[in-house]
Amino acid sequence: MAGRRDIAIIGYAQTPAMAAAQETEVQFLLPTINAALEKANISRKELGFTCAGSCDYLSGQSFAFVMNLEAVGAWPPIAESHVEMDGAWAMYEAWVRLLHGDIDTALVFGSGKSSPGDPAQIYPLQLDPYSLMPLGLDPTSLGALQARALLDSGKATERDFAEVAARSRSNATGNPNAQVSGNDDADTLLGKPYATAPLRAHDIAPFADGACALVLATADKAREVCDRPAWISGFDHRVEPHQPGFRDLTVSASTAAAGKSAGVGEGIIEVAELSATYSPQELILREALGLNGTTDVNPSGGALVGSPMMAVGLARIAEAARQITEGGKSRTLGHATSGPALQQNLVCVLEGD
Amino acid sequence: MSDQEEPLMMDQFVELPYHDLLSPTMVRYSEALAEGTILGQQCPQCGLVFVPPRGYCPIDTIVLGTEYDVPLKDTGVVTAYTIVTPVQYHGQKETEPFVRATILLDEPGGILGLQDLPGVPNDDVHTGMRVQANWIPESERSLEGLDNRSWGATAGCIRGWKPTGEPDMDPELYKDKVF
Repeated sequence: MAGRRDIAIIGYAQTPAMAAAQETEVQFLLPTINAALEKANISRKELGFTCAGSCDYLSGQSFAFVMNLEAVGAWPPIAESHVEMDGAWAMYEAWVRLLHGDIDTALVFGSGKSSPGDPAQIYPLQLDPYSLMPLGLDPTSLGALQARALLDSGKATERDFAEVAARSRSNATGNPNAQVSGNDDADTLLGKPYATAPLRAHDIAPFADGACALVLATADKAREVCDRPAWISGFDHRVEPHQPGFRDLTVSASTAAAGKSAGVGEGIIEVAELSATYSPQELILREALGLNGTTDVNPSGGALVGSPMMAVGLARIAEAARQITEGGKSRTLGHATSGPALQQNLVCVLEGD
Repeated sequence: MSDQEEPLMMDQFVELPYHDLLSPTMVRYSEALAEGTILGQQCPQCGLVFVPPRGYCPIDTIVLGTEYDVPLKDTGVVTAYTIVTPVQYHGQKETEPFVRATILLDEPGGILGLQDLPGVPNDDVHTGMRVQANWIPESERSLEGLDNRSWGATAGCIRGWKPTGEPDMDPELYKDKVF
């Protein structure tokens, strides 16, 4: 399964993570898709397949995902699909489609506008309707429960959380797409008040509006149009039980399993872009993936500095690809997550020649 | 539970509030509508007219800036219509069958869907019927009903469309602009 050289990422683009975009989702998605295609040296006419990741509930617009096709250009008719997931899972579907061997390019994107709604009201609705939804268990409270479990287990301290946040925010100063950034050190951050204990504001990713698009190609096509393709060497995703109470929240068994299948342990990972929405999650994910100190984690700042829902996971993969295509790296990974408290996880290992 | 017992049924209504920022294109459209102009955009490549302006052409997938804004006519023709028999679902305000029509505006064009024809008996509505906008007096116009989401946004400034009394339009002239 791992060590493949048959399909590569040949182009990518993303919007900044925006606190509240004035443009509609389609309006900021269209130039993003255009930019990804331009970077890939591929025209729309050549595309064999398109797959989108989005969730109508974010903006409360019925069939928002259908309207998004106006940004794709669906006339003449195209072959396309959609997942009610982060764009990283749309990429997985496009990858499977390309494995059939009859087409050689695919467009993938993830997009979302979280700003019109209140995530604290929307996300509890995806939880168990009898025991958790009536509690109004919002994502930040769940993140805090996971953080508390990690502290109680002795595996991490609040200082460890602050160090993740400090490093992420400092890295973000070099990322024009980041929503927040800063140069406060861990001590300074530890002095801030709790937002939802034991999480402080900087431990919590700001939900954002945004989009990310990328282009996949099979080997011959990739070599024809791209100087340095980011080969998808391994790709897998796994899911755990829906109920957070059924899981050990201090580990991520699905990330470990997906990572193993994707071949993470088969070589050095130079850069890992992880979708940790809460700083403690980065510690959990690093352990699950077996990343030691030599891996550069989230040089973009990661999800913690800007989390455009439905695009953030795909954006991690795009950043991991950029490290290869533009950054000269040879082996990187992107991680995406879905569901409450790291319920479902996807790992994509990329390699450069 | 025995076989004879009725299952317990419970209504659970979920309500989620959403607040949009009015998009840049709808801001321009609203301001023009308040002043009595229906604003659209015309794509320089395919020539299609979009109303309200979208800021892009979905056929050519290009961004359309303000330079492609074009004022549209407030007269047109009914190209399609539906007589809706209202289902009494929770929140439904209508009780009697009502018409929603698609109107093709006169040149340069533009299609407004879901338009109302107040005062016109449902059975009198027909394709080819020439209509004009029934503008609300300028001082009474409101932009509150306009948002990013509705189709054929005229709420608050135009109170539906009324027949002009002109002869019906030849279907050959609108048959490929029904929707």
